[in-house]
Amino acid sequence: MKNLLILAATEEEPSGLDLILPAVDELVWGAICFAVVAFFMMKIAVPKLRETIAAREQSIQDAKESAEGERAEAKKMLDDYKQQLGEARAEANRIIEESRQAAEQVRKDILAKSEKDAEAIVARAQEQIQAERQRTLQELQGSIADLSIELAGKVVGRSVDAESQREMVDAYIREVSGMGSNGGSNN
Amino acid sequence: MNLALELDVNHLFFWDPILFKDTPFALNRVSLLMIVGSLACITFFWLASRKKSMVPKGMQTIGETAYLFIRDRIAIDVIGPEGVRYAAYLTALFFFIFFMNLMEIVPGINFPVTSRMAIPVFLAILTYLLFNFIGFAKQGFHYLIGTLFPPGVPKGIYLLLTPIEFFSVFIIRPLTLSVRLLANMMAGHVLLTIFFLFTHEFLVTDFKITTLPLGIVTAIVATGLIVFELLVISIQAYIFTMLTAFYIAEAIHGHGDESHDDTDHAPVHEVEGLEATTTAA
Repeated sequence: MKNLLILAATEEEPSGLDLILPAVDELVWGAICFAVVAFFMMKIAVPKLRETIAAREQSIQDAKESAEGERAEAKKMLDDYKQQLGEARAEANRIIEESRQAAEQVRKDILAKSEKDAEAIVARAQEQIQAERQRTLQELQGSIADLSIELAGKVVGRSVDAESQREMVDAYIREVSGMGSNGGSNN
Repeated sequence: MNLALELDVNHLFFWDPILFKDTPFALNRVSLLMIVGSLACITFFWLASRKKSMVPKGMQTIGETAYLFIRDRIAIDVIGPEGVRYAAYLTALFFFIFFMNLMEIVPGINFPVTSRMAIPVFLAILTYLLFNFIGFAKQGFHYLIGTLFPPGVPKGIYLLLTPIEFFSVFIIRPLTLSVRLLANMMAGHVLLTIFFLFTHEFLVTDFKITTLPLGIVTAIVATGLIVFELLVISIQAYIFTMLTAFYIAEAIHGHGDESHDDTDHAPVHEVEGLEATTTAA
């Protein structure tokens, strides 16, 4: 059967055992190559990668911490603002209350003053009325005396001594007025 | 039909020196690709770590994500908070293996450097030295006692368990670690080579109308295998790094430390189990 694949190891120098035994020259080159690669990896490449990764982790950590710090600061500011707002509200309420009290006081003062003024005006008016009344009374008294004398003269038919009559009439009026005031109170 | 395809496996894995012949520094295609892979890895991380912008873009995003994945998902998850100390080494380990594996599917190269034993065994020995050093540094002589005589086991069982623990931790570990990586990459390389050779044979070298459907099928399978191999490349780098982290964790916290529940140790077997599935596939 020639149409078959023939796997044949030549019977020359290398034997089957040589396939699984390391050749010295290859061992030497393999050791050199691995030493170079291991040195490069362990001393240059991996430390660099490690550095980059550590720097990235650090920057993420820093960003996280700074974000947390800023968040705490923002919260503190918010609390401060809330506190200030509360204080401002309390202050405003206090001012409003004070204003209200002041207004109330002013109202009371104005009211009291108005009442006082009104009383004063009334008193003054009464005084004026009283004075007017007095004056009218006196005028009336004079007129009545004159009229009485004139009337009496006409009745008697002779002139009555004006002076003495006047005194008499006046005395009578005083009496009458005295009686009037007494009588008024009695009636 | 007289199709004959002869594949010399040695042509896939053995390369004559180009420079410094007959010296320990003999430079062949494998060594040259190691240098290329290392330069690619360094360039990638140089570009990724060059800019230190706060908002990462492009390469920086990929580099940072890759480092953070190794640091958080492997170093810290497996070792604990002190795992951060080992994150740089584990990152170097993961990406060195990844770039070396990646050669398998880079057009024009198509050769995984890790399908040669040099790098797997060197890295496995390094892991072995590292976890044992950490174990003795952290726990002193108790590390050896704790590893060979895990607490909470009936005394009679030690007759069986202690030799098994000794072999599995101090002898087998570097071997499984290196062979797992080597075998996976070797298998992948052979698989890809076979399918591409078939495709080339059916569609170019020995093209006939009857070989056309076969050629198309093998081409499709080969392309699918590239995607699958990309998965294997990543998983193998992950498993190697993960197991190194588990071994370090065990060395720091002790074998059956009460302070660490079984979840710390159970995944070791889960990760080792992944190897079986990828190899079987």
